[in-house]
Amino acid sequence: MKEIKFNVNGKTHKLNIKEDERLVDTLRNRLGLTGVKEGCSEGECGACTVIMDGETVTSCTVLTFQAKDSEIITIEGINGENKIHPIQKAFLDEGAVQCGFCTPGMILSAKVLLDKNPEPTREEARKAISGNLCRCTGYNKIVDAIIKASKYLKREGN
Amino acid sequence: MNLEVYNPKNTEEVLDLLNSYKRDAKLIAGGTDLVLDLREKKIKPKAIIDISNLDELKYIKKDDNYIEIGACTTFTDIEKSEILTDNLKGLKKAASEVGSPQIRNRGTIGGNICNASPAADIVPPLLSLDATVVIKSKENIREVSLEKIFLNKGKIDIKEDEMVSSVKFKNIKGKLGFYKLGLRKALAISKIATAIYIEKEDNICKEIRIGNGALGRHGLRERKVEDYLINKEINEAIIEASATLLSGEIEKRLKGRSSLEFKKEAVKGTFKKAFKDAL
Repeated sequence: MKEIKFNVNGKTHKLNIKEDERLVDTLRNRLGLTGVKEGCSEGECGACTVIMDGETVTSCTVLTFQAKDSEIITIEGINGENKIHPIQKAFLDEGAVQCGFCTPGMILSAKVLLDKNPEPTREEARKAISGNLCRCTGYNKIVDAIIKASKYLKREGN
Repeated sequence: MNLEVYNPKNTEEVLDLLNSYKRDAKLIAGGTDLVLDLREKKIKPKAIIDISNLDELKYIKKDDNYIEIGACTTFTDIEKSEILTDNLKGLKKAASEVGSPQIRNRGTIGGNICNASPAADIVPPLLSLDATVVIKSKENIREVSLEKIFLNKGKIDIKEDEMVSSVKFKNIKGKLGFYKLGLRKALAISKIATAIYIEKEDNICKEIRIGNGALGRHGLRERKVEDYLINKEINEAIIEASATLLSGEIEKRLKGRSSLEFKKEAVKGTFKKAFKDAL
C-alpha cells in the first residue's frame, strides 16, 4: 500500500491505495464518487472524465499515485453539495440527457471549456466534447446545452 | 505482487531509480498506453516511476540553431505552443489530432516515441524534421537520430537504465505539412499519417523529407520518393507521379497484408494532401 494525499472536490484526503490502483477506482470505490462512470476502461469513451489540476483527464488511464498533491473535481463537486450548477441546469433545460451515462463527463468537459472560453462557438463546443462519446442524443442537444450554459453563466456574472 | 511506485522530483532521481531497477522498472508519463498494459498483465514491472509531474522535462524552447521539446511535454502543450510558428503547423496539427482532449492533456511526446506504435501520431512530423532524440542515463548522455531509434513494432533502441529526455530539430527554412487519415474526426487511430517537409526556391524542390506512419512496423522516411522529387519543379504532374511512386513502394512493403488494397490507394490521397499542406 502507498499513502497519498490529494484534494478532491475541495476536501483534502489522505488515503492508503494499492500501487497500481487507477484513479477511477479510488474515486468510485474509496470515496464513493459514483458520478465518475467507467465505460471502455481504455481512455476512449470519456465517461470517467474528471478535472485534474484544471484539465480534463480520463481517470481510467491515470494511476492514483500519479495524482499525488493534485486537485481533482468530479461531477459531485462541480458546484458544492446539493446545488445545481448552471451547466447542469442547461443540460436539463435542453433535454441533453437521455440515458445519462456520458453526462458527468460531458458536463466536466463543458466546464473546462467554459472556464477558458466563456462564449464558445458551436464548433468549439463540439471540439471540447470530442473525447466524450454519447450513444443516445446525437450530440446536437448537448451542444445546444453548452451554448445555453454559456448564457446562464454570463447572466450569473461568473 | 511486489510493486513499488515512485514520484521522483527530478531527472537525477529518475535515473538513479532506473539504474538500480534496470529492466524491472517502467516509466509512466501520460499512462494512456501503460495503464492498459498493466491491467492486461502484458507487463509486470517491480517498480513504476511517475514522470508526469517532472516540470523540468516539460518545455518547448528555441535558440539560434534548434527547437527542443522536453520528453514530458504533452500534446496539448505542443498544440498551443507559440514558439512553434506557422511553418511548423504540421507538427501542431499532428498533436491536435491525437486521440481526444483528455488524451492530449496527458499523453506526451516522449511516450509517443517510446511506445513505438506503428501509428504514433507525432512520429511522422518529427521524422520529416529529421529530429534527434536526446537519451540520458546516470553515467551518460547520447543523441540518436529518431529515424534510427525504431527497432520494431513497439521496440526502440534504448537501454534499460536510459530515458528519453528531449527531442530536438534544426530551425527550418521551409514548411512542414501533415495529413492524417482516420476513421472519424476524434479518437481515431491513424490509418495513414503523412508529414512532408519542403524547402523550395523558385518553385524548385530544394529539400524534401517525407515521414509516414501506419505504413510499416514503425514510422519511416520515404527515401525513394524524396530522391525522385529533389531538384524537380513542383507542379501537379510531379505531385501525381510522386504519389504513384509512393503507392508502388507501399505495395512492396505491405505485400500479403489485408490492408494493402486499401492503403496503396489511400496513400496517394494522404500524400497529396500533406504535400499541398507543405506548400
